[in-house]
Amino acid sequence: MSKIQDAVVALRHAPGVRGAAVVTNDGLVAASAQATGLDPEVISGLSSYLMMATNRSLQEGSYGACKKLLLNATHGKAVFVQLEESCLVVLFDQFAEIAEADREVEDAVARIRRASRLT
Amino acid sequence: MHLIQRMKIWKELRRLEQRAKEQPSPSTFVDLGQVYINLDLHDKAERMADDGLALFPKSVELRQLLDCARRGLRHRRAEELRAKLTRSPNPKLFRQLAAVHLELGDRNALHATCQEWSLRFPEDSGSWVMLGQASLANFYRDLAAREGQEAVQCLERAVSMDPSAGPSRRLLGEVLYRIGAVREAEKHLEALRELDPDDREIQRLLRHVTSLSDGGSDVSALLAEVEAQGSLRHPTPQAVAPASGGDRSVADVRAGLARVSALAGVNRAVFIRGSKAMVKGDIRDARDPFLRIVRVTAKAAHRFARRLDIGNAAKTVVQGEFGDICICVYGEALAAAQCLDGANVELVLGELQEIVAGALHAVED
Repeated sequence: MSKIQDAVVALRHAPGVRGAAVVTNDGLVAASAQATGLDPEVISGLSSYLMMATNRSLQEGSYGACKKLLLNATHGKAVFVQLEESCLVVLFDQFAEIAEADREVEDAVARIRRASRLT
Repeated sequence: MHLIQRMKIWKELRRLEQRAKEQPSPSTFVDLGQVYINLDLHDKAERMADDGLALFPKSVELRQLLDCARRGLRHRRAEELRAKLTRSPNPKLFRQLAAVHLELGDRNALHATCQEWSLRFPEDSGSWVMLGQASLANFYRDLAAREGQEAVQCLERAVSMDPSAGPSRRLLGEVLYRIGAVREAEKHLEALRELDPDDREIQRLLRHVTSLSDGGSDVSALLAEVEAQGSLRHPTPQAVAPASGGDRSVADVRAGLARVSALAGVNRAVFIRGSKAMVKGDIRDARDPFLRIVRVTAKAAHRFARRLDIGNAAKTVVQGEFGDICICVYGEALAAAQCLDGANVELVLGELQEIVAGALHAVED
């Protein structure tokens, strides 16, 4: 589990990233590194709701599963990457370019997947 | 309140909060909002109703909850202002308190406040404007001559006390031209134009009024006529303006969707506002799953962003084996497209943004 936490902490240091977390599909926090003011429990609950709602509607329409979801809001951005039984959530500040952190996000995903297979 | 009772309520509150988070529906939001109201936490109830309406904009129960929460907030505001007025009365506080009573529709409290206001500050015309506004609102709603007469008298008194005050003159001018006293109304609107020659709205209103037929200056007779007819004699400039905004909007949206679906890699595009949808490309009918996916994802993203205090979810991209589903939201308008491999997602998002912004702009027009 500490390897997953390490990957999340490393991702947190990427430019523009305000927080990162691995949350299970049922809304539990597996690992988290957040800026002050961000509550991992709230993030996990909301992320789980967003991914579950999206996946359910996709499955009902026979579209298959969502692999990644990018959200661009007025005062912030977020990326959700679907893993096996969990989801990586990365929160950015409003001025960040998500594409600039693509490599870091992919690295973190690879590390988390590797660590998940080992545990 | 007993400590154990209080603990029970907080426990129930936590349970409802969890339920609203896990199973969002109008009833879960209303239940939670009701508990907040019972605890006198009207601000939280208002926020709950706002959040609920963002997800379920047509829910009547949520609108009632919002209304109830706002009334509670206004009552509290009225109490605070009353307490301040008791300590140090001044016209500004009287105005604020009267405005709250006006919003609450509490005519008796408004009368009592205005009476005290005019007794303490007889030189201030504000109390007469407020009373005029209250009567005017009732007159426009019921078209009762008595209310109209009261409104005109209050506003005339306010104008005579302070001839340079814009709001009272404007309200008076408006009611006069609408009942048919066009020449009388012109005098007030001319005075307003002299007060602020750059005010375009007044210029537009004056142009509109001068084009109307005059019914004389006997206000009582004109008001009685309005009551008998059940309708005002002249409409507002907005009411007579050509209703081209909606048509233009529809044409713009259609053209925008055509542009998006013509982009390389895009196989379907949709524009949704409320329960209406306009589609282009590979969409069978109103029950096509793509429409549901777009709605559900947009709502969930909106909820996520609002709850995290990062504003409104303007753009969302869902990636999978199916390609990219791009969603753009602005206010109540939503545009989305499904892109297959090779599509320029940024370009598609840009076009979708143009569609929703254009649609909203036309509505505001």
